[in-house]
Amino acid sequence: MQALRMLLRTWRGGQLNLIIWSLVLAVAVVTSVSLLAERIERALTAQSSSFLAADLVVRSSKPIAPEWVAGALQQQVESAQVLTFASMVYHQDDMHLASIKAVEGSYPLRGLLRRTTTPFTTDTSLIEEIDYGPAQGETWVDARLLPLLNIELGDEIELGEIRLTVSQIVVEEPDSGGSYGAFGARVLMNFSDIEAAGIIIPGSRVTYRFLMAEGASGADGFARYSEWMEDQLDVHDRLITPDEAQASIADTMDKGRRFLLLAGSIGVVLAGIALALASHHFAAGQTRQVALLKSWGIAASRVRSLYLQQSLWLGVGGSAIGLLVGFAFSEILIAVVREWLPISLPMAGIRPWITGLATGLLCLAGFTLPAIWHLPAQSPLAVLRDDVKVEPVSSMARGFLGVIAVAALLFWYSNNVYLSLAILAGFGLTTLATVVIGLLMLRVGKTYGEKLGSIWRLASSNLWRRRSQSIIQMVGFSGAIALLMIMSVVRTSLIDEWRWQLADDAPNHFLLNVAPYELEGVRDLVTAQNLETAGWYSMVRGRLTQINGEGITEEQRDKHESFRRELNLSWTTALPEGNKVTAGKWWDELDLSGDIAPVSLEEELAGELGLEIGDLLNFSVGGLIFQARVASTRSLNWDNMTPNFYFLFPEGLLENYPRTSMTSLYIPPQQKLLVNDLLRQYPTVQVIELDKIIDRIRSIVSQVTSGLEVMTLLILSCGVLVMFAAVSLSMSERLQESAILRTLGSSRRLILGIQWVEFSVLGVMAGLLAAIGAEAAVALLQHYMFDLPFSWHPWLWLMGPLAGGLLVGVLGVGYSRKAVTQPPLLVLNSL
Amino acid sequence: MIEVSNISKQVKTTEGTLTILDGINLSLSAGESLAIVGPSGSGKSTLLGILAGLDLPSSGSVSLNGQDITAMDEEGRAAVRAKTVGFVFQSFHLLPGLTALENVALPLELQGDKEALKTAAYYLQRVGLEHRTTHYPRQLSGGEQQRVAVARAFACRPVILFADEPTGNLDTGTGEKINDLLFDLNKEEGTTLVLVTHEHNLAERCGQRLVIAAGRQVAPSTDVTHVTRGSTA
Ligand SMILES: Nc1ncnc2c1ncn2[C@@H]1O[C@H](COP(=O)(O)OP(=O)(O)OP(=O)(O)O)[C@@H](O)[C@H]1O
Ligand SMILES: [Mg+2]
Repeated sequence: MQALRMLLRTWRGGQLNLIIWSLVLAVAVVTSVSLLAERIERALTAQSSSFLAADLVVRSSKPIAPEWVAGALQQQVESAQVLTFASMVYHQDDMHLASIKAVEGSYPLRGLLRRTTTPFTTDTSLIEEIDYGPAQGETWVDARLLPLLNIELGDEIELGEIRLTVSQIVVEEPDSGGSYGAFGARVLMNFSDIEAAGIIIPGSRVTYRFLMAEGASGADGFARYSEWMEDQLDVHDRLITPDEAQASIADTMDKGRRFLLLAGSIGVVLAGIALALASHHFAAGQTRQVALLKSWGIAASRVRSLYLQQSLWLGVGGSAIGLLVGFAFSEILIAVVREWLPISLPMAGIRPWITGLATGLLCLAGFTLPAIWHLPAQSPLAVLRDDVKVEPVSSMARGFLGVIAVAALLFWYSNNVYLSLAILAGFGLTTLATVVIGLLMLRVGKTYGEKLGSIWRLASSNLWRRRSQSIIQMVGFSGAIALLMIMSVVRTSLIDEWRWQLADDAPNHFLLNVAPYELEGVRDLVTAQNLETAGWYSMVRGRLTQINGEGITEEQRDKHESFRRELNLSWTTALPEGNKVTAGKWWDELDLSGDIAPVSLEEELAGELGLEIGDLLNFSVGGLIFQARVASTRSLNWDNMTPNFYFLFPEGLLENYPRTSMTSLYIPPQQKLLVNDLLRQYPTVQVIELDKIIDRIRSIVSQVTSGLEVMTLLILSCGVLVMFAAVSLSMSERLQESAILRTLGSSRRLILGIQWVEFSVLGVMAGLLAAIGAEAAVALLQHYMFDLPFSWHPWLWLMGPLAGGLLVGVLGVGYSRKAVTQPPLLVLNSL
Repeated sequence: MIEVSNISKQVKTTEGTLTILDGINLSLSAGESLAIVGPSGSGKSTLLGILAGLDLPSSGSVSLNGQDITAMDEEGRAAVRAKTVGFVFQSFHLLPGLTALENVALPLELQGDKEALKTAAYYLQRVGLEHRTTHYPRQLSGGEQQRVAVARAFACRPVILFADEPTGNLDTGTGEKINDLLFDLNKEEGTTLVLVTHEHNLAERCGQRLVIAAGRQVAPSTDVTHVTRGSTA
């Protein structure tokens, strides 16, 4: 209790402000970021689930085992079966190779289906959102099937042995996003009609999907079931998680999340430095009190226990406030990013709170305890003689403890070795440079300062006289500046990278399967609307028939649909933009005159198909066979919405085969009707509409960006706090000196001039030294965390010293203005 | 009450061993008062520190209240200080973040006294500062601050009060008032008073005087200005 009373009085006296603020900020930053990260994480999972129409999907070439269904039922996990295959549908004399999808009644488990009774409408008031599929005997179809079969809603179409009534137009399925495979018009039907139709016979190419979602048994039950399920899978089955469902958004989100983590980690380190400085300052102010306590006969052990208790109260109190502030802050952040989260944000679990509290206590243990550790050893004689002082724990040892605390926090918090190491490396380098180069610069400054005017001479000799304090301050300044630099560089390069996604005219539609005789017409249609395509690409449809002289086995066919489908083969001279050769050689390094053409494969597909560089492939295009050798694999850029190709050949090989064309283009919302005109006139053309997805990415990116800005602001305030802590470190000494100078009649100009020169010199040096550490850390981060290319940042080297000098100078002079605005005696009395 | 036999104090400095005190003997009974006088640098503060158990002599012994504090460890001396000793310092040593009342109450609170604030208020009233209880040291004049320090020292009801130039920082008039206060309380509470001073009148008021010059005890009448320090290399 006594300890608490002492602490509260010290607080009232204002000596605790810096420590408490640093602690509160450290805890608040960590808590808000973890809360936000966890809640968004949960929301994102929920959202990506809607792209799967489930929480988890198994895709298989075999019928779904009855045990899976029974197991799901028994363990109270929601499930649905979905079949997709291509089949002819007829109406009188017309027929079409449709892409059939048969769904159980519970489909979709997540997300919604959109349907309408007005073909080709874009009017959302006519579109209905529902969470079930067609009833038995009914079918919902793509609008373009109506002109293809010359039918209207209410007509019947034939599928195998049965007739289905076309009752609705299906506008959108939750799990259709980015599907490039289906060329036929969609026919959505009820799963229980399949048997009667009699169209699935052994050997039919059917894709079976088993959709699962959390049910009455909750998250634990679902986790148990999916674990069991994973053990049941064999070569025919592939598990699809929500993460894989939306690659392009996932990447943006992932980088956003990493940035959040980076910013949070930097916040922790900054708050740690502030705390260390504040503790140092606090301890210095406590020596007299301790001497007094000891002169009254308070034993050293009691003094220690008093201070430990105070630290504990401080830790608990500061952390509690920090948790509250952090919570408030996360609410603000969430308010900023709310719009793009259509579903309500799930509450976070207990972990962020624990993380926050642990941060507070660990910071205290790493920074405050070492700083006050020596206090009990203070001799009571100090009340009689001023020169009796105990040596504090050496700054080496304290630095070491601080680094351990920071490292532990970083690792635990970010769970990311690269990130932690990069930050530690950047900070360590900055500190080292500051101590070594900083000391040198102070020395040089003193030597040359003597030749300059009185202000400079006084200032530079002051800096040298107080050199150990100057160095500690400079470490604070440069550390803060370096970390802020790291953050802003990464932020800037991320936002630059995302900028295209925010570009208004990024392509949002793909036109595929345009036959040569249709090309002219489609082109005219597009130009009539004053729209521009991203250029037309030709492709040839062919099958892969042999690998290294061996035919495709039944097993391979089961395993991957690329072995059973026609593939899109295309050609080019230059490596398409955004593609990277990951293995082998591109055309320019190859001899193209040989008999066997080279082919370049998309890297992931090559892996899935088990193809390697040097494999000899046979392709069949309309019955004609040609050979090609795998010359390279490429990674594609899925972010930029331009056509991507899995199989690329050099020019001069495929041009004579029957080909189709494709392109991508931007269709503004008000010209969206073009799509309908196009489909009505050319029903075999496939249009992939990405406008909705792009809109979503765009809003996510802009929201993530504003989230980053808010975060940046929070971290900036941490940085200012560090600066403040560092400035106040020497303040009482400086004020005293200034007051004495003032008493001796020095002008305001001289006194403030000295402060200005001292602080801005410290700031300029700190800024320069910070650039060293920041550049190193950024290089590491860009390479290992954000997949960004290395680049120099000349502006760091310029802005660092400039901003550092200005900021520190202004802060320092602002702080010491008191020395000239108040009478000297008042200043001396208040110290 | 205080028995000092033949204490000396040497410290090691970069220029060799410096003898600060040499062969001091002294005996003081309960309720008496002692003035330690001598020129600046003669070792008065050093002696006071040793008498109060804040420091150890290099040789010789000190006993307070019948206990030999030179034979104790730091923990033991702390316990003796807590029970027996109170201090008033030349530079007051009030804690700036605490009000006058809290400054006086703090040592009592640390002893676990439930009535700390009440006792503190009583002693503040005794030194005539009952209307300044909620003021912070910076809002008080030097004399007032020293009165708070005196109240703090007496509030613990020490057996012996040590004061190192309690009025050294104050003008003569204010100093007189503080001195009166010290002696009044000394009489009323029966406290033994040991004070270091430069002032002649103050020394005269004490029952006993110890004059030191360059670390040695000299006869009260000696002209102390010509004694020089003996140092061994
Ligand atoms: N630990 C120490 N190391 C070096 N010299 C010391 C030490 N302690 C005391 N001295 C020296 O011993 C001498 C006596 O010091 P002390 O403070 O006792 O003098 P004083 O009589 O109280 O003087 P004043 O009247 O000025 O307060 C001084 O010269 C002082 O510098
Ligand atoms: Mg003295």
